[in-house]
Amino acid sequence: MKFSKGHIALFALATIAVSYPSQAQASRSGEKFPVIVNSGGYETKILKIPHRIISLSPTATENLFAIGAGEQVIEVDSLSNYPSNAPISKLSAFTPNVEAIAAKKPDLVILSVDSTNSKSVKKSLEMLKIAVLMEKAPNQISDAYSEIAAIGKATDKVANASALIAKMKRTIKAIVVSSRKASPISFFHELDSTLYTATSSTFIGKVYADFNLANIADKAQGADSSGYPQLSQEYLVIANPQIIFLSDAQYGESADTVSKRAGWSGISAVTNAHVVSLPADIPSRWGPRLIDFYRFISQSIAKIS
Amino acid sequence: MKNQLNEDHLGRIWNWRITMVAGLILLSVALLGVSFGPIGLSFPKIIKTLLGGSNGLQGQERVLLLQLRLPRVILAALVGAALSTSGAVYQTVFRNPLADPYLLGAASGAGLGATLAITSSGGNVYGLLPIFSFVGGILAVLTTFFISGKFFAEPNSLLLSGIAVGSFGTAVQTYLQQRHSSALRPVYSWILGELTVANWQVVKWSSLYIISSILILISVSKQLDGLMLSDEESFSLGINPNKLRIIAVAAATLATATAVAASGLIGFVGIVVPHLVRGITHRVTNRSLATIAMAGAAFLVLADLGARTLLSPAELPIGVITAFVGAPFFLVVLRKRRVTQ
Amino acid sequence: MIQAKDLTVRIGERTILNHIDLVIQPEKWTCLVGPNGAGKTTFLRALLGVLPYSGSLTEGGVEVFHSQKRNVAFVPQQPQIPLGMSVTEYVMMGRAKKDGWGRESIAGRRFVHKVLEQTQLYGLHNQHVSRLSGGEMQRALIARALAQEPEVILLDEPTSALDLHHQISTLNNIELLKERGVTIISTMHDITLAAMYAEEIVVMQDGNVLLHGPAHSVIHSSELREAFDNRINVFTLDSGRPVIVAAKENLI
Repeated sequence: MKFSKGHIALFALATIAVSYPSQAQASRSGEKFPVIVNSGGYETKILKIPHRIISLSPTATENLFAIGAGEQVIEVDSLSNYPSNAPISKLSAFTPNVEAIAAKKPDLVILSVDSTNSKSVKKSLEMLKIAVLMEKAPNQISDAYSEIAAIGKATDKVANASALIAKMKRTIKAIVVSSRKASPISFFHELDSTLYTATSSTFIGKVYADFNLANIADKAQGADSSGYPQLSQEYLVIANPQIIFLSDAQYGESADTVSKRAGWSGISAVTNAHVVSLPADIPSRWGPRLIDFYRFISQSIAKIS
Repeated sequence: MKNQLNEDHLGRIWNWRITMVAGLILLSVALLGVSFGPIGLSFPKIIKTLLGGSNGLQGQERVLLLQLRLPRVILAALVGAALSTSGAVYQTVFRNPLADPYLLGAASGAGLGATLAITSSGGNVYGLLPIFSFVGGILAVLTTFFISGKFFAEPNSLLLSGIAVGSFGTAVQTYLQQRHSSALRPVYSWILGELTVANWQVVKWSSLYIISSILILISVSKQLDGLMLSDEESFSLGINPNKLRIIAVAAATLATATAVAASGLIGFVGIVVPHLVRGITHRVTNRSLATIAMAGAAFLVLADLGARTLLSPAELPIGVITAFVGAPFFLVVLRKRRVTQ
Repeated sequence: MIQAKDLTVRIGERTILNHIDLVIQPEKWTCLVGPNGAGKTTFLRALLGVLPYSGSLTEGGVEVFHSQKRNVAFVPQQPQIPLGMSVTEYVMMGRAKKDGWGRESIAGRRFVHKVLEQTQLYGLHNQHVSRLSGGEMQRALIARALAQEPEVILLDEPTSALDLHHQISTLNNIELLKERGVTIISTMHDITLAAMYAEEIVVMQDGNVLLHGPAHSVIHSSELREAFDNRINVFTLDSGRPVIVAAKENLI
């Protein structure tokens, strides 16, 4: 059989196509580590690809598994309940115990900046030659994407991380574009039955804002520096939100209990049956399931004009 | 009997052997403290490492022992000694068996300082926090003296102004926490008491203040007994009650403020330990201060050991353990008081 | 010798001692008598050295205010009773004045032992002070005072809270001090008892000294009756002992 130029070209392309990934693989493991990862306001140096990762942040856990680094994870904290096959343990995300963590001989620990004495825990773990990646609760969605990128870099799953980010951006954009209201709909995001809420300065507030929803809590902007003020019942009734999102549904609140509250029966959201129970955990995680949150909001506001 | 003028019939005021026993107990407890934890270490190797020998622990284990466990145990000992000694001194100065080192507003002042540090610095707390809470504690006590009218004031009016200052400080702290909800978690965990931040640096500065305060208190401990009498009686016995009270309260406050700055608010140690020691030795004299200091140290080292291991892998806040031991203890003391009266 | 010259003590806005001139003889028992509010206790406290005053109040020529060079024992009317302290420790505190705080010596302990026996407290020496009866507590106070080997002892109403038997035994114990040349100054409501034991009596009223002199002459003086607004009667028993009682007729 004679090889035509076309055959050679095809063959060359095929060879490249097949060998490129493994070449890239070889160059990745050969050149990419050690890496320095910036995350949570800290710099972390990771010497080799970690294969014994302990995640002390539920979002980080979700991110790790979503980018295919699940096999590199040996344990996750007691609150990391998603995905269900994550190796859950009794380690505490909020009060990390240095020795208990070190006893498991990890090579990378992902720690939340908000946990107790996180800085000192990081220092102690690093003294024991364990790398620590810090996670900070995001203030806006780009922070959430940066976290995914950082975890990808730390676990040698850069491409997967980028792909996930791209997918999230795409999907979320599509949801927002199709559901965003022309004129703003007023809403109230309830954190607990004593009416703690989140303003638009918070991460979750910004998610709602993407849909052009008007947050009634914004009037109380200055009351709490981190954006979680407590509203008064009177104000709530006057503000008359068209939709109420219950973040405390996992603690027993529901459209039913809300409608029974004194003075609430006249609120627009209650009379029009637009009191929505948010699914547990999803609003408090900023990983891949952010898409689910957006979708949920989109479905909830669809019926409102 | 009349011819046997043997002073041993009267018994000594204080038996120094008791102090030695306390010291030995402290050493053993400290050794226990460094030996136990989620990571098991070989005991003989621990000894060798501590004594500077060559066949001790290496690498990660060595770092664990010397950089993590040892400073933590030492800090627990220092804080325990500071709180128990201050508590004992306050009980004498205020002639009140239920006095504790936080009586004059030191706790709420330190708490307010810590809250200010946490809410104002945003992220980088831990450098500032000890300074803020230390200053806060001392300022609160100074305010108490200032409010009560004179610079020494008799014990009861000091107690009352201490309550006023304490309430005010707590109110301001609560307000700040309401306006900065992100500070809630760090402040709450600080209030529960934490020795997890222990490192050699903290040990260095806290030991300076705590040890000097305790030494000052021990040096005046014998005269402190005189404060149990009325001011006139103690004056007639050669004591200057005002000056002595100021010195005692100042040193005790210094020790308390340092302890709080280093490790948060750990309660009950200041009440439980002095009574425990006095109950065991049947002596209320202040000669027991050195023993009380060492007993307090041992008590807190043990409590910290519990904090590290009982709920492993989570850290149990040490304030919870001291409260669990302290609260029933309080009831026992109250019952005993009623029986005596 | 203790001397007051133009001694005035003010507490707040009130003048409690009003320009007093008085000389108290050493090694004698002087008793201050007078109605409530006369200033007896205040004078005692001034003598102790804890009260600021204007004028002069000296012992051996040295102003007494805040002076720690003297060895003055103070037996208050209502002592602050420490909890959990044994009688021995309590009395040993008196010794601390003499030997120094924390410097107990064998000799000192022997002395305390003797004092406890003298005051019939030896059997109670391990007892908690807070559990003593009134009479026992008074003995403990005196024992503590004895333990410090004072030059001057000040007693504020040493017998007012005691029953008759204990009153006598307490005063007898105090009398022991006279053997040692101690200057005894006491305040007493019961003038009959004062007359029995004190050698000198000072009559006070409203911050002033009405009279000062040997007991037997003061007892029968008009100044004494004046101090009590003539509401007392002075009788003399066959043995010569004076008895002073409140007069019933003038109580309206």
